[in-house]
Amino acid sequence: MSESAVPLLLSLADDELVLGYRDSEWTGIAPMLEEDVATSSISQDEIGHAKALYEIVREITGAGVDDLAYGREPREYRCCWLVERPRHDWAFTIARRFLYETADDVRTEALVASSFEPLAGLMRKVRREEKYHLMHVSAWLDRLSESGEARPRLESALALAWPDALTFWEEIEGEDEFLAGGCLPAPSPELRRRWLERVERELAARGLDMPRAAGPEPPTGRGGARTGDFEPFWLEMTETYRLEPGATW
Amino acid sequence: MTVSSLESRTREFFERVSNGGKVEMTDWMPDDYRREVLKFIEMHANSEIMGALPEREWINRAPTIHRKLALTAKIQDEVGHSQLLYRLAEDLGKSREQMFTDLLDGRTKFHNVFHYPTYTWADAGIIAWLVDAAAILSQKALLDCSYAPYARTMAKICWEESFHIKHGYDIVVTMMNGTDRQREMVQDALNRWWGPLMQFHGPRTPRETDKDIAWGIKARANEELRQEFLSLYVPRIRELGLTIPDPNLRYDEERGVWEYTEPDWNELRSVVTGHGPRSQERLGFRRMSYEQEAWVRRAVMGRPVV
Repeated sequence: MSESAVPLLLSLADDELVLGYRDSEWTGIAPMLEEDVATSSISQDEIGHAKALYEIVREITGAGVDDLAYGREPREYRCCWLVERPRHDWAFTIARRFLYETADDVRTEALVASSFEPLAGLMRKVRREEKYHLMHVSAWLDRLSESGEARPRLESALALAWPDALTFWEEIEGEDEFLAGGCLPAPSPELRRRWLERVERELAARGLDMPRAAGPEPPTGRGGARTGDFEPFWLEMTETYRLEPGATW
Repeated sequence: MTVSSLESRTREFFERVSNGGKVEMTDWMPDDYRREVLKFIEMHANSEIMGALPEREWINRAPTIHRKLALTAKIQDEVGHSQLLYRLAEDLGKSREQMFTDLLDGRTKFHNVFHYPTYTWADAGIIAWLVDAAAILSQKALLDCSYAPYARTMAKICWEESFHIKHGYDIVVTMMNGTDRQREMVQDALNRWWGPLMQFHGPRTPRETDKDIAWGIKARANEELRQEFLSLYVPRIRELGLTIPDPNLRYDEERGVWEYTEPDWNELRSVVTGHGPRSQERLGFRRMSYEQEAWVRRAVMGRPVV
């Protein structure tokens, strides 16, 4: 059972790692000092979750946590396309985090019941922090949707992020196997359906339309296909790590 | 208030603060004192927020998850400090928006060390260790500041800065225990940062003519701070096997002072007035971010805020 859980664990971990990196790009330059501090804190939480997930992978495969985070080739990452995109403006950052946090909430809610106890235990802990991330992004969604100037920016950002957000739910390699074992308590299409309902409800409550564009054809991020935005990002993220192979930093 | 009563009140005020008396935000204070404290705090706030930029250049290049988290947390602290300090300055009568505009337009200053480029991960280590070490000495000299709200804020800031020094030292030690190339990176960074570090505390303004000391804003003169920096850190730097790039650096046992090559005060003046190697690039980057996201501040507050 453990070995087959690796693609699922890497999907979860890589999502959190890459989004944490993207959001930490606001550190020092966010639109307001108060928000600068909040965004740094949230991005550290996400990267902390990634670390905890890589630690579970390490227990299974013996790979080092930093080698998992920085030592893989781009095609070996399993994150969805949504998190790879540059941060763009604040509206995109909020739109992406809303779509991502809502999806992550649906996913972690299901995983609390995972038959793989290390994962279920971690998800219980993670959800205590993610609750605040959801509250934070929800407050921003309120503010941006209520302002005449911000609302069109938010709408464009939601439309831009939407096709990539759908890639969050692409089937994970070996899904049938870990579904059968109860590692993932519900199949991706079912989780996706729950997420779509949630998103529609949240958007409707703010008078926002549901984006309608279709997602890209699989295989996308979960299968290792990367967008053009990933490589420059990856080159920067691994720059120091790759400088002296095997060195301690 | 008549002229003579204003004069005597002012005299009493300065007598009180120079004897250790404390001033609260709501207390009466002479305009000269208010201006000086505001200028001091504003420059400190500017330095905290501008200081985020050189380190931020490494936020996506940290070599391990542990370093990535520590660096992000450190910069988060610095931004948090700037927020606390800008609020103190706002209480003294200047709006945050005006302070940001003055910073971006080059009318106010920030510390010399944040005008320089970074090249490798070793810069992240040297900045967090030695730049923060120099800064904490200045900040500790403010713990007994006559302007009491500033002194209270400094207690929190100094406590956090001490963790930054540990984070920086740990990066440097780890690299010095690593490969030849890692050691070379650290030595190269030290070579580049030593000059700005020696300029950091400013020229040798005598105690007697330093207005900030006379008014109880800060407790120690520039040269005292530099001497303490050298006493504390020269041995620690050498202990790691690093060479300090100043052939004239020596401790004069008889006089009990460090001798060193005179820092380049022209460079310091030029750098802090916006002519440093990265002054305009960093201000330009901050201006661009500030302007691009101005709509967010309008959406939140209905008016421009920082």
